[in-house]
Amino acid sequence: MNNFLAALSGILLSIMITLNGFLTNQYDSYTASVIIHMVGLLSIVIMLIVTKSKIKLQKGTPIIAYSAGALGVITIIFTNLSFTQLGVSIPLALGLFGQSVSSIVIDHFGLLGMRKDKFDMKKIIGLLLIISGIIIMMVL
Amino acid sequence: MFYVIISIISGVTIVLARIINSNLGKKIGNMQGTFINYITGVVTSGIFLIIFRNQINFPGNPLQITQLWIFFGGFVGVLCMVIANYITPRMSSLYLTLLVFIGQLFTGLLVDYFTMHELSVGKFIGGLLVFAGFAYNSIVDKKKKEATE
Repeated sequence: MNNFLAALSGILLSIMITLNGFLTNQYDSYTASVIIHMVGLLSIVIMLIVTKSKIKLQKGTPIIAYSAGALGVITIIFTNLSFTQLGVSIPLALGLFGQSVSSIVIDHFGLLGMRKDKFDMKKIIGLLLIISGIIIMMVL
Repeated sequence: MFYVIISIISGVTIVLARIINSNLGKKIGNMQGTFINYITGVVTSGIFLIIFRNQINFPGNPLQITQLWIFFGGFVGVLCMVIANYITPRMSSLYLTLLVFIGQLFTGLLVDYFTMHELSVGKFIGGLLVFAGFAYNSIVDKKKKEATE
């Protein structure tokens, strides 16, 4: 079930990127980013109202806990910048590389409250397959 | 080289944002966390817009644009985030990364194939290898789990 949801969110992401790409062509990447976030904000507000959810902020929550939205904007701008210079495939492959390496480190040490999942040397074969996939995406 | 580095960093920020936001979701609720994320996102992207463009280019009234569907990306993004908040604490960060990537890549290939009638061989083979790596390591995990049980 979890695996299915993960793949489903990848499918949705692909649709989102296609739609946002059209929007960025109509405007520019900075204006598009504002529009995308406004539409998103409107959608989540409607979802909160429909489900009659309440928002309670807890005191003493560190500011970093609220930083994900800002990180998301940085992601969008960095990818837009590199797409204009490197095309589609290379940023995609390099982005997967960055995601994989940071994920392995986070899993191994159990950082940011994630469950600790030490890297097993038997998994080096799978990792080599992944890395070769990343390289082939960049060169072929 | 600069663009190579920011491409890799954008991968790191995706993972960090996903975990930080799911932690917030655990504290204040999934949709509430998503709401906060979009508030921060609107403010940050507004600041970037002011700094880097200092003008807003609206080609006419957005509501008069006939392709209204291009505005739905933001809504789809919210769905992705609600799913991500739910699933992030429930599986290894690497497997989540790989599965999302595989779903994204092969959908992208299908879209390209049906809209532009082209198939990127490199992305197809690369994607298959990434999937093979994921499958292999999942089997290693499964065997280890069975051995300990």
